Amino acid sequence: MRKLFVFLLMISIVSISPAIVFAQSKTEVLVKNATVMTAAKGTLENTDILIQNGKITKIGKNLKAAANAQIFDASGKFVTPGIVDAHSHTMLDAINEGSFSVTSMTNVRDVLNPHDIAIYRALAGGVTSANLLHGSANSIGGQNSTVKFKYGKPVEDFVIADAPPGIKFAMGENVKRSNFQIQGQTPRYPRTRMGVVETMRDAFLRAKDYKQAWDDYKAKKTKVPPRKDLELEPLVEILEGKRLVHAHGYRSDEHLNLLLLADEFGFKVATLQHGLEAYKIAPEIAKRGTGVSIFADYWGYKLEAYDAIPYNAAILWKNGVLVSINSDSDERMRRLNIDAAKVMKYGNVPEEEALKMITFNPAKQLGIDKRTGSIEVGKDADLVIWSEHPFSPYARVETTMIEGEVYFDRNKDIAKRAELEKERTELEKLDANKAPGSGGTPPKVPGEKRIADRDDADQTDGGNR
Amino acid sequence: MNSKFKIQNSKLFKTFAFLLLTAYCSMFTVNAQSGGTQQNLTGKAGTFAIIGARVVTVSGAVIENGTVVIQNGKIAAVGANVSIPSGAERIDGKGLSVYPGMIDAATNMGLVEISGGLNASVDVAETGNINANAKAIKGINPHSAHINVTRVNGITTVLSMPTGGIVAGQAAIINLNGATQSEMSFVPEFGLVMNFPRISTFGGFNPITGPQIVDFNEAVKRRDTQLEDIKKAIKEAETYNLAKEAYAKDKTLPFPKVNLNLEAMIPYIRGEKPIIFTAERERDIRGVIKFVEEMKVKGIIVGGQEAWKAADGLKKNNIAVVYTNMFSLPVRDDDAYDYLFEAPSKMQKAGVQFAISTGDDGANVRDLPYQAGVAGGYGLSKEDALKSVTLYPAQILGISDKVGSIEQGKIANIVVTDGDLLDPRTNVRYLFINGRLLPLTSRHTELYDAFKDRK
Amino acid sequence: MKSKFILFALVAIGSLFVGSAFAQSYAVTNARIVTVSGENIEKGSIVIRDGLIEAVGANAKVPADARIFDGSGLTVYPGLIDSLTSVGISAPAPRSQAGGPQPQAPPAATSNSNYAEGLRPEDMTINDLKAGEAQFEAIRNAGFTTVLTVGRNGIFNGQSAVINLAGDSVSAMVVKSPFAQHITFTTLRGFGYPNSLLGTFSALRQMMLDAQRLQDLQKMYDANPKGMKRPDDDKSLEALFPVLNGSMPVVLNANSENEIVRALDLAKEFKLKAIIAGGQEAWKVADRLKAQNVPVLLSLNFPKRTASASPEADPESLETLRLRAETPKTAAKLANAGVNFAFQTGGGTTSDFFANASKSVENGLAKDAAIRAMTLNAAQILGLSDRLGTIETGKIANLTVVRGDILGKEKTITHVFVDGKLFEQKEPPKKPATPSGGTPTAQPAVANVGGNYTISIDIPGQSLTGTMALTQQGAVLTGTLQTQLGTSPIKDGKVTAEGFSYSSTVEYGGTTFDIFVKGTVTGNQISGTIDSPQGTIPFSGTKNP
Repeated sequence: MRKLFVFLLMISIVSISPAIVFAQSKTEVLVKNATVMTAAKGTLENTDILIQNGKITKIGKNLKAAANAQIFDASGKFVTPGIVDAHSHTMLDAINEGSFSVTSMTNVRDVLNPHDIAIYRALAGGVTSANLLHGSANSIGGQNSTVKFKYGKPVEDFVIADAPPGIKFAMGENVKRSNFQIQGQTPRYPRTRMGVVETMRDAFLRAKDYKQAWDDYKAKKTKVPPRKDLELEPLVEILEGKRLVHAHGYRSDEHLNLLLLADEFGFKVATLQHGLEAYKIAPEIAKRGTGVSIFADYWGYKLEAYDAIPYNAAILWKNGVLVSINSDSDERMRRLNIDAAKVMKYGNVPEEEALKMITFNPAKQLGIDKRTGSIEVGKDADLVIWSEHPFSPYARVETTMIEGEVYFDRNKDIAKRAELEKERTELEKLDANKAPGSGGTPPKVPGEKRIADRDDADQTDGGNR
Repeated sequence: MNSKFKIQNSKLFKTFAFLLLTAYCSMFTVNAQSGGTQQNLTGKAGTFAIIGARVVTVSGAVIENGTVVIQNGKIAAVGANVSIPSGAERIDGKGLSVYPGMIDAATNMGLVEISGGLNASVDVAETGNINANAKAIKGINPHSAHINVTRVNGITTVLSMPTGGIVAGQAAIINLNGATQSEMSFVPEFGLVMNFPRISTFGGFNPITGPQIVDFNEAVKRRDTQLEDIKKAIKEAETYNLAKEAYAKDKTLPFPKVNLNLEAMIPYIRGEKPIIFTAERERDIRGVIKFVEEMKVKGIIVGGQEAWKAADGLKKNNIAVVYTNMFSLPVRDDDAYDYLFEAPSKMQKAGVQFAISTGDDGANVRDLPYQAGVAGGYGLSKEDALKSVTLYPAQILGISDKVGSIEQGKIANIVVTDGDLLDPRTNVRYLFINGRLLPLTSRHTELYDAFKDRK
Repeated sequence: MKSKFILFALVAIGSLFVGSAFAQSYAVTNARIVTVSGENIEKGSIVIRDGLIEAVGANAKVPADARIFDGSGLTVYPGLIDSLTSVGISAPAPRSQAGGPQPQAPPAATSNSNYAEGLRPEDMTINDLKAGEAQFEAIRNAGFTTVLTVGRNGIFNGQSAVINLAGDSVSAMVVKSPFAQHITFTTLRGFGYPNSLLGTFSALRQMMLDAQRLQDLQKMYDANPKGMKRPDDDKSLEALFPVLNGSMPVVLNANSENEIVRALDLAKEFKLKAIIAGGQEAWKVADRLKAQNVPVLLSLNFPKRTASASPEADPESLETLRLRAETPKTAAKLANAGVNFAFQTGGGTTSDFFANASKSVENGLAKDAAIRAMTLNAAQILGLSDRLGTIETGKIANLTVVRGDILGKEKTITHVFVDGKLFEQKEPPKKPATPSGGTPTAQPAVANVGGNYTISIDIPGQSLTGTMALTQQGAVLTGTLQTQLGTSPIKDGKVTAEGFSYSSTVEYGGTTFDIFVKGTVTGNQISGTIDSPQGTIPFSGTKNP
């Protein structure tokens, strides 16, 4: 027994860190001799970036750092801001509350899983921030979380505290539930695009009444305090301009109907999500200052995605619309750099504008651009070091850091693999892992669920992400 | 085709015929009007000379300042100093690169227009488990919007495969040009697709409770039963063939009742044509190897996530891998993040014959060059990355004598670009299939032109 | 009265009373006494009267009227407490694992709640308890005298009860009811709200807020009803008042780190008096548990490998391997971090409970801490340390008597005292050898169905007769089915408490088809159904003499 005990202790030393985390303490960090693509002020050759307390404090040539600073020699390499994904469902233990068509009372913050391996894989693709959205099964879905991918940290560290709150709206096929049926369930209202708009209008009218009831109570016109209604509270915040609306949709008519509804109720839609036909109504969108977050060229997976074109970004950009390119997929998230590169070809979007579409623009859409999204003095040091130009298909992420701490490093990842193999060998020797017994917790099934988790294309999930 | 698309087509065609024509003409610096004949969307034939370009032959060295002559649908000449036939349309290749058209050896091109919720446009999966006589070439829609969208990105040839059941049917190699199935056809009945039975613990998706999980041992049993079913079907086909051949020699014997399904299997079980096995995991790939050895058939693997782990068996049995997982997530949480990015390089090192494919049903086959590019970032040389979507798939599909590289006598499937073919920033400037110069238009350019100037 | 009598009879049959019902006083003498409250007494006496401990000590005076229980060679512990079970509650129907949607929950038995089943905090475990069930005896035989018990259905599991494991009636068994509200982060059956974890949290939150408001409105109304609309009398919301006021603890079922963090967040948000139940990964958040002063009812149902690896199976994930390696260290880590915890079976077996308590000790937990986790700590967390958990004068006379070390491999629970009543333990059944100390789960009682039956199969317009030859070995059924169609062997034959089932392959007209037979046997009558590709056909028959 004693032997076993000592052995178990040994194992615990190896396995104490649940994840591969290379985060460093908050000392100075100096990235040297890089080609710095700032996503704000052009590309700077042979440039250093000095990071202190997680912030970028100096950008220039031949910068000096403290003696104990962590140095990254990026000679011949490229540095970009960390990628911001304006549409993701990574980290969510549940994506849709599909019961009602209005589920604004739900909040993805309640179901974040900071151990999702997809986070690490996204970091390995240069993504540092994301807009984690409720699914698209509902006209008005749940509240979002805007996070940084601080993998290995407690969940509360992920959430960007000063990001404005947001909420998911959705229109079209998913909300109508045209592509799947649940046997035995009474069809849910709405079943048409007509009904979707009415569902939204109804919700906002209820929200207005609700606000009135509270105003009356606060003005002492009524005696009994109204019920605090978690469904309507976020809608009131929308009406007050305090909550960002991220509206999933495809067809230009439905997006425009939402914009008209927003006009009617006097709020602004922050982003049209997907917006694959947004190019058809670019002037209308531009006029309202609404952003659009799109796939670069993903199309054709359902009828409402059939008019999608890869020139969407270019047309919107030329109309002055704030455009971002998102993944909506744990897989695609790892290659947003390639998606951004595509818009240079489709409609000649300049390089920096293309880079902005995966960095600064989504940061603006999410209201976190004061912190992240570009390489400028005073901002969080959310940086990616690339082996070559990030728009080259051959580019690899070498290092990803958030606020100056390293969360992914290719060399360290490779070095760690042997360690993990050794840990596995040791663990497999343990009695608990060796001999079958009865009872106990059933083993976790291998994650084949991950095969395809993208928003709309996947048939097996009811198409409702 | 759905009604929406019809409207788009007819209306758009009239509205934008002019725009299209102007756009098309302006792309060509020379002789675009060519005797006043109006170009149709399947391009125009003729003699062409791409002059002074960087010619990436793939099969040989890069010719920095070379010329490629296209005549009668073939590559008539290629080199630094070739004579240009009189009357050839001359294309100034300065600053441009000439590549062989890319080949995607595992798609469902033309069989699926809109996969989600539009069954009327889906012709990819026949019902039943054994569908050997289902032929992709008879289901491909030559007017699918996917075809133009794909080819304008430099992909000129694809394998289009059916997917239904265990024996899914026969895959066709097609060129991405032609008004009819036969005009597109390259090898109409190339291979028999078999979704090789695998251990799947996936027991369907419940909208309320999510994915349902089947007990592992149960899944093993299910796999084994399916495998037995296939072997049984092959035995039946052998019996059928025996009876047929016997009857051919001796008409007094009973004529076997016609069975199209069994009949279709004959060339494949005789090893005359390849069986295309879909398989991903090591255990399934080893299963394919065993099957190929046992049944003495010719095999190609589509999928191939862990093919490199079974390199010996694959090499021994000349089984090539069409790898479709560049843009897939590793299945297990413990897999390294680049587990699937690195697989082509691992196959290369292990000596497994391979090609890279999107495995896509059609709309996103145009991502092929970037998928190869990413492999080039994870261990594969840039040259091999290029070969993995040109010469290698041609070799695997048995058509490397005709396509896959720029060599005299080969079919003129040629892409002229302003940069690295695998780079997402690169524009395709000219496109030839079977020597026809094709307009660089698609559903996407049409919609772009229609809306880009809307105020 | 009648039902009470039957219950009493059941208890009497189910266990062996050493003393008679009239024995009021015992003296356990010459025993080693682990008081838990103080030093161990190497040789001493415990005097029990009227269900309470009257005296304890090396020199405690033995009254003349006490029956002497010679404790030589035995160790007496405070009665062991299993700090979370569902003992005495009939198990809910398992959720279907097959594909296809879940059936709609059947309409609940009459409830005037405004909330769906599963969102009814007013549900009282005590209402579902039945005294005298065999499972009380089984757990008592394993050495437990007291459990916390609650149903495990729904999001709000309802209000739990602490019961002693013997008594003529539920009311006599109850030590404390209700003890706590229990919450599981799950979804409701069917399609209603909430059907995702997202909705679970928003539904919980809204109900808490609504309850807070109702409480305020009721106070307002009680103070001055004039001119105010009468607030609803909502029993579901009202059941949450004590939870929100901090007078009733909330037990949150949470095993993974994520679940525990979510539970702690919820507790913080509504200032709940929270207790974590399960706590497999509690060591990962020990600091937060300590800071929020949240105790843990730690499950001793440690994860185990349940099946031999198939040669074709994927290697198990590191996460799984680590979890199995780490779980036995949890108790020690919690103890080191100063987090209060008690042990519970966690849905596992009582033998796992002791085996894994020992494993926790092997992995660094002090032995006395392990014993406290099944006695005093449990009593403290359950708010009953003034009456349970130690051997002290005046406390409830719940004692567990052991030959050997309770944490050792060689131990026998010889007796327990529950409320001063003595129960002698029956010889433990001989264990069949199992690998790695794994203990087979108790075999459920099965029906007796063996025999040869002449059956008729009711195909419309036809009469098919046959013989069903059933050979039963425990829960395994073999034999044959013989009809005009031939004789086919029984495959996958099973016998349960209710009846039997098997499948078979029948040949007819040159083709074979699979059938599935299930049925029951009552006396010499057999009846059931045959599922065939042609449909479901009933059969019936009689046993051949």
